[in-house]
Amino acid sequence: MIELLGLEEKTYTLNLGPQHPSTHGVLRVLLEMDGEFITKAEPVIGYGHRGHEHMAENRNYQQFLPNMGRVDYLHALAYNQAYCMAVEKLLGITAPERAEFIRVITAELNRLTSHLLWFGAYLMDLGAFTPFLYCFDDRENILDLLDRITGSRLTYCYYRFGGVPTDIDDEFVAGCRAFVKRLRSRWKDYDDLVTKNVIFIHRTRDVGLISREQCIKYGVTGPNLRGSGIRYDIRKSEPYSAYPRFDFEIPIGTRGDIYDRYMVRLAEMEQSLRIIEQACDQLPDGPIMAEKVPKRIKPPAGEVYQAVETARGEFGIYIVSQGDVKPYRIKLRTPSFANMSLFPDIVVDTLVADLVAILGSIDVVIPEIDR
Amino acid sequence: MLKDNLKKALASLNLEKVAEGDYDKTGYHLEAAAQPAQMPAVAQAMLEADCFLESCTAVDLVESFDLVYHFASFGELCRTAVHVVLGKKKGMPTISHIYPGADWYEREVFDLFGIHFFNHPNLKRLLLPEDADFHPLLKDFGASQGND
Repeated sequence: MIELLGLEEKTYTLNLGPQHPSTHGVLRVLLEMDGEFITKAEPVIGYGHRGHEHMAENRNYQQFLPNMGRVDYLHALAYNQAYCMAVEKLLGITAPERAEFIRVITAELNRLTSHLLWFGAYLMDLGAFTPFLYCFDDRENILDLLDRITGSRLTYCYYRFGGVPTDIDDEFVAGCRAFVKRLRSRWKDYDDLVTKNVIFIHRTRDVGLISREQCIKYGVTGPNLRGSGIRYDIRKSEPYSAYPRFDFEIPIGTRGDIYDRYMVRLAEMEQSLRIIEQACDQLPDGPIMAEKVPKRIKPPAGEVYQAVETARGEFGIYIVSQGDVKPYRIKLRTPSFANMSLFPDIVVDTLVADLVAILGSIDVVIPEIDR
Repeated sequence: MLKDNLKKALASLNLEKVAEGDYDKTGYHLEAAAQPAQMPAVAQAMLEADCFLESCTAVDLVESFDLVYHFASFGELCRTAVHVVLGKKKGMPTISHIYPGADWYEREVFDLFGIHFFNHPNLKRLLLPEDADFHPLLKDFGASQGND
């Protein structure tokens, strides 16, 4: 291994993963160490490569829908949404208003499940077990809500070209309202447990700094970018679906360290609650499917790029159609791929004990990197 | 504003095409077409305009490759797509020294299409195993190939 990496003898190689509890999946990192300090890190990815882009070329547009819930399993609905919107653009159809509202409500609920899971899993990485129990208790409420209308708890396949297949009822809306109230009452517990915890602050302040320049050079997006003080959220800067109808803010950090990223995610959850609340209040009546959706999806030749804001940043889907029932090429631009490529840069010269703290703070989902 | 600035910057590079995109249909504000050798200059112009590399990928057109670079900006909504037509068995200059984020994108394109990037610092397989001897996103790669 030493010859392989061309290392000098005073350093040694440390292998992290691919089976390691804090790499959140199958990620391997080859570390070159000088004592306790990291001098070089090389992520080795691809253990979860399933070939979604290749699968896309071998099935028709509808058949590829379930794949979109399996790229990023924690925010599946955002991927559903991007794909449906891209195909709708190719076909020249638009989803009715009520469907867009339902999409926003469910996608935001899904964002909350992702952030809550990150919160619990990340603090577990840092050695705190209790927050995990709190947030999984809250998360379970959302899963029950989504289960009722989508039929699944994790790998959702709920949106369709031109709308959504099942309508939401008053019970669901009441459930959403009750959940918003419940989660708001929990912020104080979260703050008392974690945000003001002195051990947590010392482990995260000024650790894992990401600069603005690095964000541009690596295409970092999502809470990682906003933690570094750049106000960029696709829901605002390139508005899609029903998002322009709602009043919400984009929280940002100032220093770009782990603590800022943590605060951004926590503040973002409150903004998601605001969006859900407003969407429930303004929910229009009407159809949930567009009228003129062809049975056989065969978009005209052309290409389209559609971006959405997922829990981890910008997901972009690039579809090339040649007028066939199958896509000619689909490229999935996933946020964790770009965020992870920055990782070697920010862990250099840090202690190995901080590596886990930094890796968790980027909030990567490995199957999304590998696709 | 940014769109006009980019148009001016790209026009000075003598590209094959710099045109306004149909945003409602394609999601692009600007579309450009460049020769392979012009790509580092395009990337440099994009970086100077504070744009970031959204993605870089390839499409196998059987006769040739179409490399597609998407750029966007954190400040102002303006997505630029740059198409580069590359002959089969031809190499492409890297832009990873300008955008370090392109490092992995180019490795992925190399991995899945077999396109070689000149002067890339670490051009090896990214997603597939090191000993794989195929490039699965080529159109002549059958779905059943590889495993049986």
